Amino acid sequence: MNDAPMNEEIFPKGTGKSYALVEMMRGESPMVGKGPEKTVFSFPVVLLWEILILLGVTLALFFFSLVKQAPLDAIANPQVTTDPAKAPWYFVGLQELLEHMHPTLAGIVIPGILVLFLVALPYLDYSREHAGVWFSTRRGKRIAGWTALYAVVAMTAFIVLDNAFSMRELLRGAAPAWVAQWLLPSLILALIVLLPVAVLWRKGASVREIMIALFTVMLASAVVLTISGFLFRGPGFEMYLPWQMPDGYNPWNDF
Amino acid sequence: MAQSKPLTRLTDSRVWRSVFRHGWPDNPLDRSLTMTSNIFFHLHPVKVSHKSLRWTYTFGLGIMATVLYSVLVFTGILLMFYYVPSVERAYPTMKEIQLSVPLGQFTRNMHRWAAHGMVLVVILHMARVFYTGAYKPPREFNWVIGVVLLLLTLGASFTGYLLPWDQLSYWAITVGANIAGYAPVAGPVMREILLGGTEVGQDTLIRFYTLHIALLPLSLVLLISVHLWRVRKDGGLAANDVPDAE
Ligand code: HEM
Repeated sequence: MNDAPMNEEIFPKGTGKSYALVEMMRGESPMVGKGPEKTVFSFPVVLLWEILILLGVTLALFFFSLVKQAPLDAIANPQVTTDPAKAPWYFVGLQELLEHMHPTLAGIVIPGILVLFLVALPYLDYSREHAGVWFSTRRGKRIAGWTALYAVVAMTAFIVLDNAFSMRELLRGAAPAWVAQWLLPSLILALIVLLPVAVLWRKGASVREIMIALFTVMLASAVVLTISGFLFRGPGFEMYLPWQMPDGYNPWNDF
Repeated sequence: MAQSKPLTRLTDSRVWRSVFRHGWPDNPLDRSLTMTSNIFFHLHPVKVSHKSLRWTYTFGLGIMATVLYSVLVFTGILLMFYYVPSVERAYPTMKEIQLSVPLGQFTRNMHRWAAHGMVLVVILHMARVFYTGAYKPPREFNWVIGVVLLLLTLGASFTGYLLPWDQLSYWAITVGANIAGYAPVAGPVMREILLGGTEVGQDTLIRFYTLHIALLPLSLVLLISVHLWRVRKDGGLAANDVPDAE
């Protein structure tokens, strides 16, 4: 209950401070073009929002940890290799890629290109248009959907075909090793990645739309490779159906 | 206003005033000071656009990553009281944590599931930021910080994976480190720097341990702080920049 007159509330007396040094400058404040009506107080609204997430995440972890125990295998033995020996799930996609090409290409060049792409992304696509909107536009959403579907099909086909008719084996003796290990896999992957870009380019797509296609191909391919390496690879890192793994191997025990 | 004498004495005391630099929030000045001298407002503006709070914009993923990081620090410190990073003792101390330390197995479960969860949540957060176009100016640099955070998160998870020193961890790290060895020219050297030798052994364990409990978590808090501060300095979430017509 405050019945101080308005001007006293704005210019309170006796605070020892009545001026501020201000300067005019060009540029936007975070509040440019926005009325105060469209805002809410951070305290307590945002705080409650954050506490809710904190409680939700902690509770979910709590209950999951009650029912699912972290695995502990036999003590490490450098003499006895486990079969299969798999990298943790977030690197098992790379391990899957290693099966299909030269290890330097799969383990260093491709991840290097991906990290460079991520770092360069905001400097390649710098138009501020449609920032803060999911998929930017309806068209962007369609592009994301179709490229995701396309990448899942293309990468699955690549993995399955190369596994059935290994390029390495087919070209053995017929061509130098670098053709099967470097050239062909690079060309196939470049084709998979650049095909949607070429299609969009011809349709006059914006930089943002091309980035949506590239990022989606990257993400969807990573998901396919990870699922393949995690679920479909058994002893000897050979390909099996997850429910037909030999020797009682259960990929889920590798978490 | 009507406070009892002892209470006033307390709130006027040197100690109290060193903590709370303002008086009771019963006048406009102290009311605003109560808010602005609060640490909460070090990270948050006083008011935020209702758009940035829409659940389907962020899905809360950035906050979830922050929460998971905190859970990992908390449970990780508890595990450190028992774990010994030596080839002879690492595995036995893991067994001890699971079998005889009160709530040991549970603490280890929390730590492991939070670690897997954090990798997943950070990847999802990156996807959400990408698809909402929130990396565009003026947020380019915060995106780059984010990419480093992703790499640090993967590194923290990977180094932690070795610590139980069981077959699962030993061979997973061997496979992972071999990938680093495939780099042209520098590969074998990089692998040796990572492992502290030619194969996974005691020198690897102490390296991974130090990275896992000191260097990577410290780099993570530092960069998470800069990341969150930048969110505010870049004008809040990108959803704020969308004109209301859209
Ligand atoms: C340890 C990992 C990370 C943590 C703890 C974290 C935390 C956060 C938080 C709390 C926000 C506020 C909005 C929200 O909750 O979504 C945010 C926004 C943001 N993050 Fe992250 N983040 C992490 C990793 C990343 C990564 C990997 C990227 C991208 C490569 C990234 C890029 C961004 C950007 C550009 C914003 C501003 C989004 C907007 O304006 O809508 N962050 N982050």
